[in-house]
Amino acid sequence: MSSAEAETQLLSPELLAQLERLELVSRKIFRGRMKGERRSKRKGKSVEFADFRNYVPGDDLRFIDWNLYARLDKLFLKMFLEEEDLHFYALIDNSLSMDFGQPTKLQYAKQIAAALGFIGLCRSDRVKIEVIGQALRNPGSVLRGRHSLWRMVEYLEGIQPGESIPLVDGVKSFCLRNSGKGILVLISDLMDKQGYDVAFRFLLAQQMDVYVIHVLSPEELDPDVKGDLQLIDCEDQDQAEITVSRPLLERYKRTLATFVDSTREFCARRGMAYLLTNTNVPVEQLVSSYLRQRGLVR
Amino acid sequence: MSLAAFFTNALYWWQWLILGAILPLILALYFLKLKRHPLEVPSTYLWHRTIEDLHVNSLWQRLRQSILLFLQLLLIALMMLTCLRPSWQGRKLSGDRFIFLVDTSASMSATDLGQTRLAAAKDQIADLVEQMKSSDSAMIISFSDISRIEQGFTNNRRRLRRALADIKPTHRVSNLDEALRHAAGLANPADSRERESDVISVADALPATLYIFSDGNVPDVSNFSLGNLEPVYTRMGSDDCENVGVVAFSVERHPENLGRLQIFGRLEHFTRRNTSEDAAAATVDVEVDVYLNNDLVDAQRVRMREGGTGGFDVSLDNIESGILKTEIRNADHLDVDNVAYASINPRRRAKVLLVTPGNEPLELAMETTQVQRIAEVTRELPSFLSKPIYGKQAFDGFYDLIIFDQCAPQEMPQANTLFVGQLPPLDSWSAGKKQEIPQIIDTDRAHPLMQFVELGNVDIIEAWPLKPPPGGTVLIDSDLAQPDAEHSAIFAIAPRDEFEDAVLGFNIIDMASGVANTDWHIRVSFPLFVNNLLRYMGGRGGRFEARTNVKPGKPIVVRTEATITEIDVETPRGERSTITRGSLGHFTFADTDQIGVYTIHEQVPQSVTRRFTVNLFNREESDIWPQPKLEIGHETVAGQLTWEPMRREAWKYVLIVALAVLLLEWYIFNRRVYL
Repeated sequence: MSSAEAETQLLSPELLAQLERLELVSRKIFRGRMKGERRSKRKGKSVEFADFRNYVPGDDLRFIDWNLYARLDKLFLKMFLEEEDLHFYALIDNSLSMDFGQPTKLQYAKQIAAALGFIGLCRSDRVKIEVIGQALRNPGSVLRGRHSLWRMVEYLEGIQPGESIPLVDGVKSFCLRNSGKGILVLISDLMDKQGYDVAFRFLLAQQMDVYVIHVLSPEELDPDVKGDLQLIDCEDQDQAEITVSRPLLERYKRTLATFVDSTREFCARRGMAYLLTNTNVPVEQLVSSYLRQRGLVR
Repeated sequence: MSLAAFFTNALYWWQWLILGAILPLILALYFLKLKRHPLEVPSTYLWHRTIEDLHVNSLWQRLRQSILLFLQLLLIALMMLTCLRPSWQGRKLSGDRFIFLVDTSASMSATDLGQTRLAAAKDQIADLVEQMKSSDSAMIISFSDISRIEQGFTNNRRRLRRALADIKPTHRVSNLDEALRHAAGLANPADSRERESDVISVADALPATLYIFSDGNVPDVSNFSLGNLEPVYTRMGSDDCENVGVVAFSVERHPENLGRLQIFGRLEHFTRRNTSEDAAAATVDVEVDVYLNNDLVDAQRVRMREGGTGGFDVSLDNIESGILKTEIRNADHLDVDNVAYASINPRRRAKVLLVTPGNEPLELAMETTQVQRIAEVTRELPSFLSKPIYGKQAFDGFYDLIIFDQCAPQEMPQANTLFVGQLPPLDSWSAGKKQEIPQIIDTDRAHPLMQFVELGNVDIIEAWPLKPPPGGTVLIDSDLAQPDAEHSAIFAIAPRDEFEDAVLGFNIIDMASGVANTDWHIRVSFPLFVNNLLRYMGGRGGRFEARTNVKPGKPIVVRTEATITEIDVETPRGERSTITRGSLGHFTFADTDQIGVYTIHEQVPQSVTRRFTVNLFNREESDIWPQPKLEIGHETVAGQLTWEPMRREAWKYVLIVALAVLLLEWYIFNRRVYL
């Protein structure tokens, strides 16, 4: 498969045009040190002014604001920020359960990662895409600049639904290898029988700006099944026998809603952003509308 | 009833075999079906959490899961039940036209069947009405001493049921005669043709089955032919019934002491329970309470033989008026006859008119203080009889007694009369020629008029031998016999409607000569006779209480002052009805269905309230033992307690249930809903 084809599959030209206008936003950095950074960048400044502070002996005299000294007869030191690029990580769950749905959840996850990665590349951010299952064998490289788009797409295309590694192991491995601050987007269906909370705690420890995009297929949200069934888990071959009835389906939906609500609450309490999405929602809409609302892009 | 009686096998053994094979087939199919389809899903994580708590009540869960199986098995079971033709025993209703005769007399209120006999009869009729086919028609007639068509022939079961519900028990006696004639109207049209001989057209006879629901305590019906009616007598009541009833209850004033009341009651015990030898020895104790104006004045225990009678008497002093009630305290199967009432009306002086050209001894006898106390005597000359005032008073019932001494009116007045030396203007009385020196042979000392009257020392010069009309009583018999042996009385009394006429066949004072015709008036017996006369015929005699008692449903005639045109009668239930004076000058009140005390309110000031009572006093109604047969004309209709059984099929209903189960199964299968 050529990279051009892969590109069009993952990212349509219309989407690319749309994404070019967006940029990634880190809430943590926005709130903290780097206030005003992006705005000044837009004005074309190469050096970022951050603040003034009183001069103390020993400070670099080059940074004294002489104009202010002329006006106020006091020495102030101009503080500039180093132009630090943003780290953007996309962590894709490629467990077998992600290989379901039309399109598959994995494909959808790839699209999201590609879209967000492209935004980052356009803004010269450091973009790194990793896969939970394959991370050790095939770690993604750090990409930067628009020209890296094809490498990113190639990498994404290469991701296959793989062996079932528990979410917690994958996340732990990721955290050990990537310690920098930045934005982390975890794209998963969270269908891990060991639970997601330990994995999330690892992410929290990284002091990253964590976004959890919970991808579910319509079949999972509203199962269209009938009769007496033996459900087989594709990951661990676990079985569940059910006789489908309306109350049972309603019960399933209630369980799902409880699961989603508890996850959302878990994330909200810990300053993580949580977004439940359905593979039926177009990626454009997800990025330009939902993620924009969440403050990941603008 | 055995199980076999419920079911009838409708299939051969091999058919049963096929039907029975369906059951294992369904089970097999169910277990085949239970092989679940495998379906790979992303994760069973949420599914496990979903069905986790469902496993807690897994038995119910299994039941829920296999509800379709159960419904299918139930369906097959119902179909098998249908093939067994389940049925229950019903009553056979024969024919297509039915007449239901319901006895509503007092004895049908007996509660020996757990409910009243009437209610039981109504239930049975309702049952039969339910069984009627749509082409059948029926008629409902209720009868006591009168009969009433509650519902004419109709095939509308709703109307029949409504008419049936409207039938109320009465306190009347029963008489089947009129009801049978009503019933025969359509079945035997020949009867009507005979009566209206000029009517040629003859209606087709419509035979009908005549269901009589009664306890059989009805007088035999003679002179009636059932014709096209097929009688079925359903004997309502059980052989094990028992009843004690008040069959008589009366109050009389003591003949010598008018202030003293003597109360007599007679009780009778009715049962057929004990037919063995010791029945004669068995006795029943009945406790009787007597109330005056609802205050207990006496209680007695009356001991009598089983099936025998007993009596009690009570004396009360210084009672002017009030209501007497007697009540049997023993529980029995009929309540209506456990209570009886008697009314003591305030004493009223009798209104007596003496029409005489002059009769000193009689006038003197009427002026004694004793007479003055009980009667108000007006003396008039014979010329008074032609005055209009006499006509009005005599025919409005103003007088209780009119004494015609040697004179006679044109017409008989509405009052008791005594004719002295004169015959009443009635053809029924006849007299022979006047004869001399009659010898008194006998006097009827038992008659109230002749009580204590000793005539052995009385001589009479001239007398006419009399012959009273049929039903009359000879009070003084003589040796005269002219023109025949029947003309021998010289004093006789005879009833006329509700009055009595007494005729004395000799003068006391001869008007022409002014000489006494007898020495009776100087004897002690004469004032006694006058006293008897005023007491008895002036309405003060022994019958005065009897007149205030009527049988349920019978009309009562009320006489009042001539000036009143309307009176009010209050029933025991407190309903008041106004009645106007009838053409005969008296008031007739007929709404006497209820047992109890009725009060008459005269619409004049200072009028005395009068009362009369309605009591059952009927042995036939009190004897509640259901008669085994009815005599109708020349036919004897034996009663039946059981009915000819008839199978009532239920397979239709079972099949309907099976269809409902099928529909339910279909619904559940399609909608995937569970209970």
